[in-house]
Amino acid sequence: MGDILKIQGTTSKNLNERNRVGKMGDSILDVMKKRRSIRKYKKENVSKDLLLQLIEAAIWAPSGSNVQPWYFIIVDDANTVEQVNAFSPGLLGGPPSVILICSDRKKAFEKAGILGRDELCVMDISMAAQNIMLLAEEIGLSTCPVKSFNKRAISKILNLPDYVSADLIISVGYSDEITSTPKRRSVIETTFFNTWGDRI
Amino acid sequence: MDEKEIIKLFTYMVTSARGCVDEPKIYGPFRLIDSISKLYSILKENTLIGNEEVSKIIGKIEEKKYSCMTDEKEFVTMLDDVIDDFVALFNFNK
Repeated sequence: MGDILKIQGTTSKNLNERNRVGKMGDSILDVMKKRRSIRKYKKENVSKDLLLQLIEAAIWAPSGSNVQPWYFIIVDDANTVEQVNAFSPGLLGGPPSVILICSDRKKAFEKAGILGRDELCVMDISMAAQNIMLLAEEIGLSTCPVKSFNKRAISKILNLPDYVSADLIISVGYSDEITSTPKRRSVIETTFFNTWGDRI
Repeated sequence: MDEKEIIKLFTYMVTSARGCVDEPKIYGPFRLIDSISKLYSILKENTLIGNEEVSKIIGKIEEKKYSCMTDEKEFVTMLDDVIDDFVALFNFNK
């Protein structure tokens, strides 16, 4: 995977640097604010190199007890995307590719017990997912996290072993919609200093 | 008619039914309304529907259906509007 990044002249080092300052001069906060969940995609395919860059971002996410329980299945074969789509009601807008984020629950249990298996895993893959979506935004791709899929069907279609949990699908492609900015609960509304109720 | 498209719609609906057991309540109305979009798309593709008024109603659905995730009130207003449109359509056809 490192080789793939080197081949296209994008080493991990300069990828990290771009993440800090942003391709267009955006700060990471700007990228966070610009990201939208996209539900209508162009038919244009996403290159394998770009998809692998997203995984490079994902694997740098923190994880409980450093278990790194994640596995990523990049689905970019049109026939397989169609099958995944058929059993994923929340996967909308015809993305040309998706990334299924899975977690190795057995490994998580062995290292961090029930907490690791049932809670930390979910947090770990969520942080990896956010890394994917932010880098995607920065490099001109669009995404949408999708939990509305039939786990049983997706596990069969993609041949997952029993101990691996299909946790989250992220659609990846080029946006074909104009989005509006959803309302946000403000910092003041959501934040206390030191104890509950102490507003800013 | 492409049978595969119908099977995909059935799959979408049954998977949605299973999902709705555990998912947020608002997803149920959304899946129903999205099923209309998908069914209309199949019918139109096969020139089995050509009613202009229905086409306008579907356009309204397409424009607002995703608002269920960001503005539930707007989504419900759209549903009410669409029901009014269908009432008018029935009257028109009499």
